[in-house]
Order: sequence, then structure tokens, then C-alpha cells
Amino acid sequence: MEQEKRTVLVAMSGGVDSSVAAALLVEQGHRVIGVTMKTFCYSDVEGAGKTCCGLDGIMDARRVADRLGIPHYVFDVEREFTRDVIDDFVSEYASGRTPNPCVRCNGNTKFRDLLRRGEMLGCDAIATGHYARMGKDEQGRPVLLRGLDEKKDQSYFLWALPTQLLPKLMFPLGELTKPQVREKARQLGLVTAEKPESMEICFVPTGNYVDVLEKRLGSEHPALTAGKLVTPEGETLGEHAGYARYTVGQRRGLGGGRGLPLYVLGSRPETREVVVGTLEQLHRTDLRVEELNWLAAPPTPGEEVRVQIRHRARAVEARVTATGSDGVSLEFGEAQRAVTPGQSAVIFRGDVVLGGGRIAA
Amino acid sequence: MPTDPIYLDYSATAPLRREAREAMLPYMEGCFGNPSSLHRWGREARAALDDARDRLAAVIGAAPSEVVFTRGGTEADNMAVLGRAHCMPQAPVVCSAIEHKAVLATVKAAARLTGAPFHVVPVDGDGVVREEQVYALLEEKPSVVSVMWANNEVGAVQPIERLADRCKEAGVSFHTDAVQAFGKLPVRVDEVPVSLLSVSAHKVGGPRGVGALFVRKGTRLHPLIYGGSQERGLRPGTEDVAGAVGLAVAAELAVRDREADMVRLGALRDRLEAGLRAAIPDLVVNAATAKRLATVLSVCIPGADAGALIPALDLEGIAASGGSACSSGSSEPSYVLVAMGLDGQVAAPSARFSLGKETTAEEIERVLATVPAVVERLRSFASA
Repeated sequence: MEQEKRTVLVAMSGGVDSSVAAALLVEQGHRVIGVTMKTFCYSDVEGAGKTCCGLDGIMDARRVADRLGIPHYVFDVEREFTRDVIDDFVSEYASGRTPNPCVRCNGNTKFRDLLRRGEMLGCDAIATGHYARMGKDEQGRPVLLRGLDEKKDQSYFLWALPTQLLPKLMFPLGELTKPQVREKARQLGLVTAEKPESMEICFVPTGNYVDVLEKRLGSEHPALTAGKLVTPEGETLGEHAGYARYTVGQRRGLGGGRGLPLYVLGSRPETREVVVGTLEQLHRTDLRVEELNWLAAPPTPGEEVRVQIRHRARAVEARVTATGSDGVSLEFGEAQRAVTPGQSAVIFRGDVVLGGGRIAA
Repeated sequence: MPTDPIYLDYSATAPLRREAREAMLPYMEGCFGNPSSLHRWGREARAALDDARDRLAAVIGAAPSEVVFTRGGTEADNMAVLGRAHCMPQAPVVCSAIEHKAVLATVKAAARLTGAPFHVVPVDGDGVVREEQVYALLEEKPSVVSVMWANNEVGAVQPIERLADRCKEAGVSFHTDAVQAFGKLPVRVDEVPVSLLSVSAHKVGGPRGVGALFVRKGTRLHPLIYGGSQERGLRPGTEDVAGAVGLAVAAELAVRDREADMVRLGALRDRLEAGLRAAIPDLVVNAATAKRLATVLSVCIPGADAGALIPALDLEGIAASGGSACSSGSSEPSYVLVAMGLDGQVAAPSARFSLGKETTAEEIERVLATVPAVVERLRSFASA
């Protein structure tokens, strides 16, 4: 089937995935425009002010765009990113939850800006290097599907996208595996072919999120200062160094010593307590998801779906027990470890991403 | 992409003129000698360098010994500002708020290095420096006062004659960055008593990476880099003979053709300005009532997305500039427009169209046929 030729705005981070995504679009004959979103900028030259012109990601993306013979621009979204992503990240931790900043960025900042500015530039499609696919439902409406490479599937990060974007989305890597993508990059001689996977959050250059919290909240903030370590039964076991420093399911750094290993079960910001308990207590069968966004028809009560509660976790079977505009409740088929408030829960029907939300306390 | 893209970014850089290129070639091939060498190769190169110096000096009304070749306009600005600051490390350094970063950042760096204070003098709504504030600072005996001849972003021409006169009366060194004015205004150091003046080759059709600093006889200047005695010890390093020749030839041609070119380009600029105003009623022309360079049109387009404006024009084949040429695509409002009192919201979506030798009336008409539709599209997708 002859594929429709589109004018595509492709987000290029300077990594291998988005580089190959752009290359594939060019090969498919689309008119391609590359763009790098400048979300965050830290100077590495003393006294020279901000040196965003030299940020590695931007330079690499530009080199790839040159190689592909496509125009490349930089969209400065630093202000919006700080307001909508970093501030949210900090306030979520301060509230005792564990945020997914990449979900927040995709939903609130990155894709919205791509859509808006893409339209301004006369583009009719938006592409990224995410491992996800687009498909159609029975009515022919576009739906978001998981990437074929189970190990790389990134649909988890995309549930919060604005629905009106769906008809415009293209994910050229959705059918590929990571080794295939690297091989393609090598064949094309792209400078990004051997670039290592970026694991850290882009605005946490040290790799430790607590550094960002300390910088933005101050180390005297209640979330970062000592409090009681308690059991669900109300027994005090000792002290902790600040509840925002702990994540649900964490074992390390807890005194323990009662025979059974202890895990963080959650925190109580109002009393600064961190609640710890046994591995058994870390498991839950119920899940409440709020701040929903649906990309397809929402599930109905009683429906069996699959739900993924963190990146790099499998989507597990669950039954919808209640739905409403403010949230949805589910019952896992099997008890799940470390259901973490603030993290995204993404709900699937087969390969179709129905939508998702933030896990409630 | 339309078949014939239109270049309207001559203030950023201009193409190398054929005559300059041809004059340069012999000094990159056969006459490749080092001007400091005593043998015939050296002598030939030395002769060409001296000849280029004589010609550039004649163009600006200087003595040849007052012309120092540099590796560009930014380097000339640095040599002037820092070179003066190091001569008088206790004295304040003064510049205007709309200087090119080559001066503005150097003034701040000079203050940091010497520990002396610096003063950035504001401009009025037309982008013209508040002269009286400069004069008030002369009592503090600054090491240097630096005010550009004409601004690169909005084209506003500064009162250089009066500033130079007053600084001279006060016994204060006066530097002007004439990178944008050179070739577009009568820039003569025998008519205006500046102490130091920077020019750049590539803005007038010469090669990239070559400039010159005029240093009036008697003006003390501390060198910034050390090595040999080339360029009176102010710019050590083996001279770029071809570059100097290219600068001299391009400068001569630019000055020879200046009056006719400026009449023609001024009319085209006025046509562009009138056409854009008519099509976009709320368009703001920056420095509208100032004396402006004939080649520059800077506009603010309220509601047109600052980050998408220049890319959208580029995709339509129109090369304009969003102010400064930082490739990071920063959407920060231009500091020049902010200094002129335009608030961030209005100042952010701005575009500079700058015309040059190759600009044609037909191109201007095509720009007028394209820009309003682009602006319309940008505005229609702007979020509320």
C-alpha cells in the first residue's frame, strides 16, 4: 500500500532512537523537520553564562539532521518545563509521592509544544523515537499500541498525551527492537549510533534526585529532615533522614534488625513518618488510579484489563471494580509488590493503551 | 522548500565579494610567505600586508600605523575594551545597554578582572543611548567608554560625533564598535575623534575571521595575547595576509558604492516596512523614529510565537534573524529590545530583516507575499 506522504516534525533528543526515527521517516519519503526541545540547561563554563548552544544533545541532533539533509531547529521550553515538570516533581516528593517526570513532560510539555509549533510550521504529523505504535480501532479511530519489542516498550510514558494529538502521531520505531535500531544507525553512519542509553532524568545531572530536592526545597524542608520510622501497627522503630529520601519498596538504609527484613511501605507527610513493614505487607491487591487521561474508550466496571504500575514492570491482569471521572479502582489478579503513590498506572486492553493516571495513596 | 530562497540576514554575514576573493587567492597560493621573513617570499607578503593596511587606513581616514589587523570584530572589541581596562585598572568601564555581546560581555569581564566598577548606560525607546548619562560618568574618568556606531539588531544609529567629542574634551578614551555601520554610514576617523574603532570584514563582503582595530596615535592599549611583535605587539601571531587583503578590497568597494547602495536598499527596506505594516496592522517597527541603518528592519509581531517565527520563515525560504544568532533557539526576549523598554511579551516575537548587495525588489515583493500568511498561521495556532 502506498504510504501517505506527510510533513513530519520529529523530536530529536540527540540519542540513537530519535536519530533513527528521523532517518526512517526520511527513507519513507516524508518531508521531515527535526527539532530538539531544550528543557533544561546547566552551564559548564564558568563565567561564560548559559552555554546551551553547546549542549551535547543539541549538537548530536544537529549533526544527524545535517547527515539526513533535513532542517533542524531548537525549541526552548525551559520555562514551561521548569513550571510543569520540575516544580511538579519537587512538590510530589514533598507530598510523599514518587512522580514520573517523563510522563508529566510528555503529557504537559513536550508533545503539546510539538503539536502547537508543528502546526505553526505547517506540519501534519508529529514523530518521536518512542518504542510504541499507532493503530486503528474497529471504527477506524487511531489508537496507541505498545511497542513490539517488549523489553523496550515505552507506551508507559505516553498515557498522558492530549487525545487530539493521536491522529497526528507517528512512532517509526514501534516495530523494531533496540539492536535493530542500533544496526540501522550504524548503517547510516549516524554519530549517535553507539551512544549509551540515557537512564537518568534529564534535569538530575548527578543521577540522585535528592540533590534536586535539596536545591529547590532547601535541606531544612520537612520532607528532607528527620522523622519517625513506624510500623503500620503504630510501633516506633527509630528515625529516618527525611521521608522524601525514601521510595516505596526500598530496603536499603533501614535499620531493620527484627529478624524479618523491613521495606518502606509509604510515608505520612503530615507527621513526617515513614511507614515500614514486612515483604508481605508490601504487597497489595487493590489499586486506585486518579488524575486520569483516556486515549480510548475507558474500561467499564467488571472488565478484565492489564495494568502496568511502573516502568520496566510487566502489565498484569486486573479487574476494574469502579470507574468515575475522578478515578478508577482495580483489583489485581495477584497481589503486587510496592504499589507506589504518584507513579503512573497505565491500563491496557490487549496491546491498546486505554489510558492511565497517577496511583493514589 | 520554494525554489529560490531569499537571504535577508546580511547583518549576520554577507557573501564574499568576487573581487575580494580574487585579490586574496595569490596570497594563499604562490605568495604564501610569512611577512616577518626577510627573504623574497617574506618581502612579497609584507608588501601585500602593508598595502592592505594603507588601503584600509585610507578608507577610514586613518594613518596606516593606526590600523591593527585582528581575527575579527569580536577580537577587535575585546582588544579595545580589555586593553584599555588593563591600562587603568582602577577606573570604571562604560558602555551602552545595546552593545553587541562582544562589548557588553567584555565590559563585564574587564570589571571582574580588574575589580573596577562598570556602568551600562540605558537607551531611549528608539534604541539611542542616553548621552547625558554618558557625559555624567566622564567625571569618574573611565578607562574607556564604548558605544557602538549603529546597533546590529534594530539599526539605530548612535550620536557618535558628539560622544567622541565630549570624551575627547574630557580626556577619556572612546571606543566604537563600527562593525554594522562600516560600509553603510560614512565612518571616518579623521572626521570623528574616536580613540578606538572596530570593523569586521565579513559584514562588508570580505572574508570571515578578519577584522581591524583602529588605534589612534597616542592611545595606550595593553595587549591581550603575547608572542611576537606583529601588529605592533597588539596582535602577535603570523599575519593573515590573504585575509587582510580581502578586508581592504571589500572595504574599498563597500565605501565606493556606499551612497548608491544605501539609497537603493533604503528604498527597498522602506517598501518592506510599509508593506508589512499594511498587511499586519499591529506590527511594531523597532527604532522606528530613530535614524536607522538603511539595510535593517526590525519588527515585533505580537502573538506570533517567538520560537516558531524564524523556523517558519526559514521553511518558506526566507532567511531572517530572531535577534542574536544563538543556535540554541533561546526564546528569551532580546536584551536590546528589553533595553528599549519593550516588555518581554511584546519583545519576544521579533524578526530582523537585513538587506544587502544582492537583495532585489522582486525578492522584497515575494517576502511581502509570504510573511503575512506565515504570521497568520502562527497566530492561529498560538495557545490562548
